Amino acid sequence: MYKLKSKRPTHFDFDLIIIGSGAGGGVTAHIAAGQQKKVAIIEADTIGGECPNYGCVPTKALLQAAETYQSAKHAGQFGIKTTDVSFSYSAVNAWREKAVFRTGVEDGREAYKSDGITVLRGHAHFLSPWQISLSGKRYTARNFLIATGTRNVVPPIEGLKETGYITYREAIALKSPPKSIFIIGGGAIGCEFAQLFWSFESKVHIADFDKRLLAREDSEVGELVGAIFEQRGIGVHVNSKVLNVSGSKGNKTVTLETGGRRHSIVVEEVLLAAGKAPNLDLGLDNAGVNFDRRGLKVNLQMQTNVKHIYAAGDVVGPFMFTHMAAYQSRIAVHNMYQKKKVSANYHAVPRCTFISPEVSSVGPSEQELRDKGIKLQVGTAEISIIGRANTSNESTGFVKVLASKTGVLLGASIVSPRAGEMIHELTLAIHKGLKARDIVETIHAFPTWSEAVRVACTRIKCP
Amino acid sequence: MKHIVKRAGHTEPFDAKKLYASIFAACLAMREPVGTAEVVAEKVSTDVEVWIEKKSEVLSNDIRRVAAKHLYAYNPDAAYAYMHHRIVW
Repeated sequence: MYKLKSKRPTHFDFDLIIIGSGAGGGVTAHIAAGQQKKVAIIEADTIGGECPNYGCVPTKALLQAAETYQSAKHAGQFGIKTTDVSFSYSAVNAWREKAVFRTGVEDGREAYKSDGITVLRGHAHFLSPWQISLSGKRYTARNFLIATGTRNVVPPIEGLKETGYITYREAIALKSPPKSIFIIGGGAIGCEFAQLFWSFESKVHIADFDKRLLAREDSEVGELVGAIFEQRGIGVHVNSKVLNVSGSKGNKTVTLETGGRRHSIVVEEVLLAAGKAPNLDLGLDNAGVNFDRRGLKVNLQMQTNVKHIYAAGDVVGPFMFTHMAAYQSRIAVHNMYQKKKVSANYHAVPRCTFISPEVSSVGPSEQELRDKGIKLQVGTAEISIIGRANTSNESTGFVKVLASKTGVLLGASIVSPRAGEMIHELTLAIHKGLKARDIVETIHAFPTWSEAVRVACTRIKCP
Repeated sequence: MKHIVKRAGHTEPFDAKKLYASIFAACLAMREPVGTAEVVAEKVSTDVEVWIEKKSEVLSNDIRRVAAKHLYAYNPDAAYAYMHHRIVW
């Protein structure tokens, strides 16, 4: 095999080169520049990465519009008279673009420049542990941060590529909602698009090979979400394998197998949301960096096996969220330049799925804890018993908390309106090792959804 | 123009014909019929050309690794030979 020429240069072009300008890279760039480091950031795609351009921001803007439309349609239950409620999808798209614009991502390049950060465009490729090649030039750096994110996984489904499909990137920018859509993948992305297109009156089908939607969450969560979707008329096909996609633009036939039974569904569009794979085509072998198909291997200081090369964000995992990438980046840049090292801690990572009602969770699932042999207490509260459920006329959902035998909170799941906000009380409690009693003794305002958190915690014994 | 950084440190323009020839040779060495070897060499060369399109400069080892990965899908033995015994034939 090739022997790497890995002699450390005596002169460096930059103190830090960051590959990827998303949440992982952007945070690090600004912090390092603030410490008077000479920083370059490289982006092969859109400045700002997935979250503001194609991910969290545009989808949440669309979901807000969808929720508002549904609320207007059902306003009569509160005595509000509305007539001819309708939507203009071009105006909805304009709203989405406005939300993306307001993140400032369009001016991201300028923001970097004003902080003295060099922005380079193109596909970086390591030539050695200290040097990358980019657009015909070579650059050296004392440190590197790899934050290249992920790309869509295309499962080997017969006819899928030939027939054509869209991903979340295209789905956010459709000129009109499809009359019907088949979503391959029942994870958070798939469920959010099911919510979105159902709200805008598409006929939606969603399929997953797992036995429930949101399979990484506690079983009650996915089962309830599946039941809610079915009640709305969404075709939920769990335990299903998509065998074949055929047809042509606007008229696609999806053949799937559910419980040994084959059936076909004709739709206008197919949306692929079957998972993501890390972007690792960077010449990592030339740098000697360890990786596998799941991503780069890092220690808890976010350092690869090559000491001066760090990594953060989706390319590392274990959670693919913007808040996770930002957290890991802060740890990476701290450890690059501070003597006292800090380590990542993943035991209280909040996760949200922005459907209606919202889904959120923190910490390990019940099954993960039981698999580790931890003896658990489980406390559950239906949100229907909370005063806010009465005044909002919404009664579907629950709060479930997991605690040790001594009452220390370990994990939680919520299905409720505003679950994404509610989860942070439990995240703080788990992060700080608090007991359920600490939450029970905390005054919760009436009437708020968060009262359900307190009620769930009352069901945990704290000897 | 895509450039290959050679082991000695100098660079050369990427030569698709050279890649085709080495893949073709690896397939023949594994007793692939000539026609099949031509098809496989063509496909693998195209795959590598698509891959290198986004790069401006790569190591010759990168070419070998990527070519071997694509060749593996057609003939794992030829891929192994190509990766590890390049100078045998």
